[in-house]
Amino acid sequence: MSQAWIQHTFSRKRFRTRNQATALAILGVAILLILGSLYLSQVASFAITNRQIEELIKQRDELKRQNERLIGEIASFRTVPRLFARSEAIGFRPATNADIDYILIDGYNPNRDRLPVASINGTEAELAAPVYDETFGSWLEQQLALLRDQFQSFGA
Amino acid sequence: MQEMSSQRATIQARLPFVALFLILMAAYLIINLANFQFFPRSVRQELEKIGNSITNTTLRIPAERGRIFDRDGEPLAFNVVQFRLGVSPALVSDSNGLMTALAEILDIDDFELYRKITSDRVWEFVAGPISAEQGQAIVALDNISLGLEEIPKRFYPQGELAAHVIGIVVDDGLRGALGVEGAYNDTLSGRVLDLSVSNVPFDLPQDRPAEQRGHDIVLTLDRDVQFWVESELRAAVEEYSAFRGTIIVMDPRNGDVLALANHPSIDPNSFLDIADPNLRVNPAINETYEPGSLMQVLTVAGALDQGIVSTFWTYNDEGYLEVGGRDIWNPYFQSHGATDVSSILVKSLDIGAATIALEMGTERFYSTLRSFGLGQATGVGLFAEERGELRIPGDSDWNESFLGLNSHGQSVKVTPMQMITAFSALANDGIMRQPRIVRRVINEEGAEDARPTTIRRVVSAESAQIVTDMLIRVVEDGAPEAQLTGYTIAGKPGTAKISTAVAFEEGRNAKILSFIGFLPADDPQAVVMVKLDRPDGDFGYEVAAPVFRRVAERLVILLEIPDDNVRSRLQAAEADISTGES
Repeated sequence: MSQAWIQHTFSRKRFRTRNQATALAILGVAILLILGSLYLSQVASFAITNRQIEELIKQRDELKRQNERLIGEIASFRTVPRLFARSEAIGFRPATNADIDYILIDGYNPNRDRLPVASINGTEAELAAPVYDETFGSWLEQQLALLRDQFQSFGA
Repeated sequence: MQEMSSQRATIQARLPFVALFLILMAAYLIINLANFQFFPRSVRQELEKIGNSITNTTLRIPAERGRIFDRDGEPLAFNVVQFRLGVSPALVSDSNGLMTALAEILDIDDFELYRKITSDRVWEFVAGPISAEQGQAIVALDNISLGLEEIPKRFYPQGELAAHVIGIVVDDGLRGALGVEGAYNDTLSGRVLDLSVSNVPFDLPQDRPAEQRGHDIVLTLDRDVQFWVESELRAAVEEYSAFRGTIIVMDPRNGDVLALANHPSIDPNSFLDIADPNLRVNPAINETYEPGSLMQVLTVAGALDQGIVSTFWTYNDEGYLEVGGRDIWNPYFQSHGATDVSSILVKSLDIGAATIALEMGTERFYSTLRSFGLGQATGVGLFAEERGELRIPGDSDWNESFLGLNSHGQSVKVTPMQMITAFSALANDGIMRQPRIVRRVINEEGAEDARPTTIRRVVSAESAQIVTDMLIRVVEDGAPEAQLTGYTIAGKPGTAKISTAVAFEEGRNAKILSFIGFLPADDPQAVVMVKLDRPDGDFGYEVAAPVFRRVAERLVILLEIPDDNVRSRLQAAEADISTGES
């Protein structure tokens, strides 16, 4: 009897062992499936977002093209001959010098600032290069003086 | 049982060999792996390339060419997209329906369209280039058998306006030629990129890099001034039956070219249709001519500046002078007796200019001409600028007679741009500014302004003022056709014969008539050069001076230059403000 129980116990143990291995395997597969599906869902999400970005880039390029085309159309409408013809059609004519009156306003200087002119040969006085005569010693003295001033200000 | 032990013994005997084999294989793999890691860079790149070719596609991204604007931001050249349409006949499900739809959009022959749609070929070209609107209509058909390919196209909305300045593009829009398109091709063209794009759907899509685009350029040209100048030039060429003409307007204070017109001109939108190759060059910078009596001004300015002559200097004009074996005559072979410097310019006396050149001597005379920029490209910023021809002592083909001839603009060749630059220096108190056509370059980092640049002082301010006074007298006494009511004009007409390799051309129209003037003479804001080739007419003051006046009439309005009275009142008011501030 006792031998039978021992055998039974041993056989159950083997059974338990197989059962645990299967459970582990199933668990492993389940974990893999979960990780796989997470990965796939993530990848699908990336792919969808990238597709949307691509569409947006395409839309942007198309809008740019349309914008350029509109600039072209506006430029064509604004050519001088067209403007000239249109103004004549609605009764305008080119002004002559006799049509223009200049009004002097007290205190107003009408002369706009002129751009400074660079010189190739550097002889122009306005373009004289700044003089850098600072030495290391003078720089050190300057820094020490600044430091001294700072300390003095703390003391005060 | 014995058999099993025998097998075990065999296995045990072979096991070391198997283990050794596996160890060797593993070692071989490890060595190869390490070797792969330390491959030379070129081999690794090649391997990576093979790897990428599986997962990546290389797309050629065409560079977007920079745009060109006038000084007020009006577009002169930019890009539009056109399309090329193709069809895969095997994918067409409804031939008749597709034919009807395409024929309506493209306005092409139904029969030809049907033949292409039902072709046996894998791919059939249908039409191109087609416009962006037509392209959009085709996209709206949503037909998988149709394929649209983008074709970038350069578009010049102003048509012929400033065509020679703007230039054109060739090689399918990849390379600029002529004008600013040619001279600033590197700036405008951008970079064609081969972009490696991943085929893997979850790799982030790549956008084209911004720095690939060409830079935009803002010109010094004023579109309105250019239009009026072109209109006046066209009228003048027709009125005087001239072969062609050129007008340049320059601001002497900063060297800005405000207008540069040639007639006949070209339409850069249909450049390939131009049959005459001569129309493809810009006569203002690409062709040279003998300037004739305009050169007298430079001779006189140099002599005055170097103290060779003064306003009181006179010479005895006998109507004939021989220099280096060549005879020089005055117009109509007249002699004028005792003549001062001012009268040389007023009466356009070649003998007077030659006498001054002889007084200057070769060294001083040619130094003056070089100083005025003759024989050197101006560097205005346009494509293939000519340097002109200035033979100087020491050159194998120079001889003594050149001193006399060059003094009044013969045997020396210049471009109109060189002449207006030289006169601009006189108008700008003797300081020569670098002529320029590009005012600003705009890139992805912002705008970069081209500052006006001084080339050199050509003559002293005093000498420039004396010459200006003389040129005012020239207009008053010698070319009243150039006068503009209310404004003081300084200028000089020029009459030049057309030279061939052996002699001057004969015939009534074998001449180039010109006029260069600036206004207002006391504070010059615009220098205008008018040049007409082979016109009906004998002298520059008869033909070119009236054209100058008509251009000047428009300029004072467009550039807002008040007349002399108003300006003197403004100056007085300005002086009052300065006094008040101090």
